[in-house]
Amino acid sequence: MKRSNKSIVVLFAMMLMLVSVLSACVRSDSGSSQSSSNSDGSGSKDKITLRMTVWGAPEEVDAYKFGIQRFEEKHPHIKVELQHIAADYDTKLTTMVAGNDVPDIAMMESGSIAYPLAEQGKFLNLQQFLDNDPDINVDSFVPNITYSLEPGNVIGIGPGPESFVLFYNEDIFKEAGVAPPPTKVSEAWTWDEFVEVAKKLTIDTKGRTANDPDFDPKNIKQYGVSVSTWWGVYSNFIYSNGGDFVSEDGTRFTLNEPAAVDALQKMSDLMNVHHVAPSPVQAKNIPATNVALQTKKVAMVIDGQWASAGLAQSKFNFNVGVMPVLEEPVTTVVCAMFSIFESTEHPQEAWELMKALIDPEASLEMITSGTWMPSYKDWYTEPELLARWTENLDARPSGYKDAVVDVILTHGHQTPTGYVKNFNKIMDIVNPALDKVWLGQQTAQEAMDSIAAKAQEQVQGRRDVK
Amino acid sequence: MRKGLWYGLLFTAPAILGFLIFTLGPMVASLVLSLTDYNVFKDQTSFVGFANYAKLFSGEDDLFYKSLGVTFYFVLLRVPAVIIISFAVALLLNMNVKGRAVFRTIIYLPSIVPAVASAMIWMWLMNPDLGLLNSMLEWLNLPTSNWLYSEGSVIPSVVLTTLWGIGSTVIIFLAGLAGIPQSYYEAIEVDGGGWFSKLRQITIPMITPTLFFNAIMTLINSFQVFNEAYILTQGGPNNQSLFYVFYLWRTGFRDTEMGYASALAWVLFVIIMIFTYIVFKTSKSWVYYEGGERP
Amino acid sequence: MRQSKLALAGGYAALIVISAMFIIPFVWLVRSSLMDLSQIFTMPPEWIPKPFQWGNFHRALTALPFDVFFTNTMIIVVSVLVGTVITSSIAAFGFSRISWKGRDTVFAILMTSMMLPFAVTMIPSFLGWQMLGFYDTFYPLIVPAYFGGGIFNIFLLRQFYLTIPRDFDEAAFVDGASYFQIYSKIIFPLSRSALIVVALFSFLGSWNDFMGPLIYLKSDRLFTLALGLQMFQGTYTAQWDLLMAASAMVVIPCVIVFLVGQRYFLEGITLTGLKG
Repeated sequence: MKRSNKSIVVLFAMMLMLVSVLSACVRSDSGSSQSSSNSDGSGSKDKITLRMTVWGAPEEVDAYKFGIQRFEEKHPHIKVELQHIAADYDTKLTTMVAGNDVPDIAMMESGSIAYPLAEQGKFLNLQQFLDNDPDINVDSFVPNITYSLEPGNVIGIGPGPESFVLFYNEDIFKEAGVAPPPTKVSEAWTWDEFVEVAKKLTIDTKGRTANDPDFDPKNIKQYGVSVSTWWGVYSNFIYSNGGDFVSEDGTRFTLNEPAAVDALQKMSDLMNVHHVAPSPVQAKNIPATNVALQTKKVAMVIDGQWASAGLAQSKFNFNVGVMPVLEEPVTTVVCAMFSIFESTEHPQEAWELMKALIDPEASLEMITSGTWMPSYKDWYTEPELLARWTENLDARPSGYKDAVVDVILTHGHQTPTGYVKNFNKIMDIVNPALDKVWLGQQTAQEAMDSIAAKAQEQVQGRRDVK
Repeated sequence: MRKGLWYGLLFTAPAILGFLIFTLGPMVASLVLSLTDYNVFKDQTSFVGFANYAKLFSGEDDLFYKSLGVTFYFVLLRVPAVIIISFAVALLLNMNVKGRAVFRTIIYLPSIVPAVASAMIWMWLMNPDLGLLNSMLEWLNLPTSNWLYSEGSVIPSVVLTTLWGIGSTVIIFLAGLAGIPQSYYEAIEVDGGGWFSKLRQITIPMITPTLFFNAIMTLINSFQVFNEAYILTQGGPNNQSLFYVFYLWRTGFRDTEMGYASALAWVLFVIIMIFTYIVFKTSKSWVYYEGGERP
Repeated sequence: MRQSKLALAGGYAALIVISAMFIIPFVWLVRSSLMDLSQIFTMPPEWIPKPFQWGNFHRALTALPFDVFFTNTMIIVVSVLVGTVITSSIAAFGFSRISWKGRDTVFAILMTSMMLPFAVTMIPSFLGWQMLGFYDTFYPLIVPAYFGGGIFNIFLLRQFYLTIPRDFDEAAFVDGASYFQIYSKIIFPLSRSALIVVALFSFLGSWNDFMGPLIYLKSDRLFTLALGLQMFQGTYTAQWDLLMAASAMVVIPCVIVFLVGQRYFLEGITLTGLKG
């Protein structure tokens, strides 16, 4: 009994000590942060602090830090505080907005809270800066990397585009004696040619191809192609077929119209009729693009060009070609963006910082490693600049210039999240219906017709028309 | 009795103050927000009365009913499964066997492996073609399942993945079992009773306070299931795992309709309160407290 | 006697089967932490790293300031643990061993704090702490532990306190003991196994807490391990090899704490000198 009494006293003493030590150290911490935030609040003329929030893996954050360092060297009176929000970025940013503690500049994603924020006037219109900047204007960028709330109101600029391409394992094509995918848009496969090739490269466990009458679609060792059922991927084919998510004037839901339905059905047929692509269920067996191709689980993968970095690290003969074309060659362009909060006290400095970060020189390492692509058009058109990020690099195989660089300049299409209003809510209705299409339980026409009326209720127009 | 009240308040003061300072405010705030069109990004918020609740119950929001149904199904499957299995595992771990420290640690391991890592395991275990579960079923000549990836089996599959996380429940049962004096069992042995009489006459009555705790907590947690949808299924396929709190989260954060999300939250709050109250009421007839107390 | 041997063998068999199933996630984590990126994702999975990538640990440790994260986490975890164990047991005593009017009503009200989804109270809580000037400090993560330590723990301890026979208190009362003496001399020591469970949960809870630090902290120098782990997830891909290595390093202290901690509550109440 005595012992336990003593132990309680000891515990209490420990607790008191801890709390006092802790409060001392925490207080000094909060004190220092207070003073620094004061200095940027009062905006003393010679020293300015800009706050910025980003997400990303360490190497991506390093790229931002490098850009910031270059910026700070050029503008010695500006200090940039980089806040790295590793996960649940939107949740954190939402609470920061609720608490009026927003950064000056933030990395944003078009599919999440960027537009909800912009709709409430939280972002500066970047058009004014683009119009007046001595160095750059809208035409300096690769098409489709700026995001607008409505025509003339630019809310974000991407640090670089990403397009969709057809990656493949060269050895598989050589061994099968099949001609590899073309790299020039003018020579791109039609859908039927693509399916034929995919069939030749789909092999069951007994070595029969999908063309063999005894082919066993339940036991496939190597798939001809892997296509994710994410909208990012199938939007390519909808656009290529002349379809869209909503009509040109933004009044009509159009995924149930022939062009889109045909594209969705073709995707489904790859899985359920031709058995050349893993269904969403089977796709759970398919690892990341680089591993899938390297281990010959699939011969071709339609994926974002960011997969180049992983492919470059896996040592095997991969290459890249253009995606098959339905009516028109198209690639959907997706990218994150930087936005400037309207509450910033230093809009011009924030703009300069943004410029520094989207300058390909700042992120050259991310670009040459394969993950990113440059934001400025001249890096695609000027041979010397182009050479810096496309030649003699593991991540940039022989087909890259034709199949990726040329296509993104001339055949890019903006991501639907950038122009379809209320996109998430529309997709909340579309996605469950598409689940049935991918599993072959319904045709694309049936599935889209069944939800068309409900989806139509959520259609609120387009951001790219007035 | 007056003295009892004074001491009672004194001892519970930290908890009561804690509730008043840290919990009550946010709770009331969300209740008030449920009567508004609160959107975190909007500068103005206006009072809308019971419009959010009216929208919920008008039938206009079919995802509300869908998510409620999905969640009830989940609770119905999960609560008994967790309680029965944890109790059985706790009994096993309470046996006097060599290496039980290691066994106990192993049972708890899945609860401390980060969710992003364990999500990968479920994806593999439940992989329809190459997963361990289907391989085992095939080996036993039983029909296989599409597990997380088909509408019919997704909820039972999610319940199954949560069973790996029973570590805490088992530990609480173990602590309860540890509190049963050995002498009680000896008395049964003297009377010639075996394992089963010990279980029925001593273990089960003596464990009821712990069982009661675990039942209540499992019930409350199951209604608020979120992570599994957030990490594993995103509510699919075909909204079949659109758990209530996941839907609420999506509404409040992605769609920034925080006022409406607050109304959703308060509906769930009332549901959980009713179920907890029912269990508390019934506990009078089945929970045995050696201290002679009734809850 | 024969039967109990049989039961023991059956018990062992069951334990081994169950353990085999429950150890899979951990084994997966450890083996992934020693693999390169491509091997982690091979299907069907491989269990032996080839070759062993011990470098993952070094790379993970140097990619991010884990020493800072560790120190911060320890400050939070220890403070929370101490506060939780002490104040939750005091409160549980008040809710179980003292009879007072309105006790069960107050308890029921406190129980409701677990019933409202976190998603809708998060922003109001954040705003409250921010108004107090404690945004970007450890206070929001630690202070509540000193005010009851959460109703979960109070409820758990209450359940255990209710099972302790009344005779103890009454005998002590006759001897002229106060409530505080009964708490500190009888109930607190007798409920050691339950207290260790509470300590364990409190440790693991704040060790793994992600949302709290995410919301209340903004400077990297205050970040915790749970936040650090998420930093390996990139925009398009995650550095799974490093993430797994870092996760393994974060999990292993928990395993050790558990292995040590469980010894105490496993021994049970009989060792504290109480018989029947």
